[in-house]
Amino acid sequence: MIREKRWFPILYMFLVTFFFSTLIIGFSRFTGQRVEANRQLAFESAVLSVLPDWSLRPASRSEIHRLFHERIRPPDSATAGAYTMLQNGEILAYILPVSGQGFWAPIHGVIGLQPDGRTVTGIAFYEQNETPGLGAEIAKESFRQQFSGLRIAEEGPPLRIKRPDAALEKNEVHAVTGATQTSTRLEKIINAALAQWRQQKSGAAAEKQDETR
Amino acid sequence: MKAETKKIALDGLWRNNPIGIQVLGICSTLAVTNLVANTLVMCAALIFTVSFSSATVSILRQLTPRNIRMMVETLIMAFYVIIVDVLLKAYWPEMSRSLGPYVGLIITNCIVMGRCEAYGIANPPGRAFLDGLFQALGYTCILLLIAAFREILGMGTFLGWPVPFFSGPHWDKWIILVMPPGAFFVLGILLWIFRTIQFRKEKTRP
Repeated sequence: MIREKRWFPILYMFLVTFFFSTLIIGFSRFTGQRVEANRQLAFESAVLSVLPDWSLRPASRSEIHRLFHERIRPPDSATAGAYTMLQNGEILAYILPVSGQGFWAPIHGVIGLQPDGRTVTGIAFYEQNETPGLGAEIAKESFRQQFSGLRIAEEGPPLRIKRPDAALEKNEVHAVTGATQTSTRLEKIINAALAQWRQQKSGAAAEKQDETR
Repeated sequence: MKAETKKIALDGLWRNNPIGIQVLGICSTLAVTNLVANTLVMCAALIFTVSFSSATVSILRQLTPRNIRMMVETLIMAFYVIIVDVLLKAYWPEMSRSLGPYVGLIITNCIVMGRCEAYGIANPPGRAFLDGLFQALGYTCILLLIAAFREILGMGTFLGWPVPFFSGPHWDKWIILVMPPGAFFVLGILLWIFRTIQFRKEKTRP
């Protein structure tokens, strides 16, 4: 009997592994493209959702994809890493990607800014793993809508996330109740990105002036 | 067969409930029960994994050499868990994102291995499937109870909808219940109640 042979368990394990691995590989090939497209789409819809223009709130997947490629230009050296929305060659908005370590896992998001670079038009997160029901509330509309219309401070930290009962300045929002860790980290992430962007952008602008002179 | 099915169902849901009696799969109980919606999806994934793993182990039970059976079982479990994970990533990315690593961690849920070892390896596929199904359903019942308590008392919502009174200004939300330690309290109290009822019944039985 083949089952009594000493090498049978090895052969058996090999065959079983081979069989199930083949199925899995086939299956993930089949869905791989869709998974990748979902990831891309999450980013694209986040970008569109922070734009000041309300007509750009598409519903379907294909529409999001089409609008993103039609209206959004990828970052170049003059925009210091920010995506831009153009209309007739004029910049209507900057979309700045922000990322950094959250409470549990990295938070990835985008901030929309008016052409002046000081007024926030919106914020969205396309990847985060904060505590569901607490930190994860940052991805909800009720938290995010506080950002539109904020004025970034010239001095000190650009934006601030204050305790839920604190009085607010023009560059401040209320944190999610109980999500202290997420809020502190998010504030750090946003401010680091904004500060770096401003510095790089003014550097790029100065260079451009040198060239034209 | 009918009496057998009834016995399997009763075992999974009540007499040998995986959480109430066996106290298995506690890590996921603590991790995913702060929102009812997340809990539902997680439990659906577990029901699928346990029932199919147990049935597959049962199909292969005559062939599998005893000394490597655990390796084979783990492989089969991983197979079904990956399928669930990939399906969620492809067709329900929002849920996949909010469950994070927990779907993949079903592999380490002791209930899956427990059922394969305790039942699947020694019984025919049909019954193994049923056993897995009802054990996972027993797990689901307890988890949903915990999740309902945590979401309503901690956030004032149920399945994301505001609950009257608890979402109002007169209810001071119990933030601790949304955090992982909150699950310990709820689980402890539920286990206490569950066991008190069950032991009382056992005593009254002749």
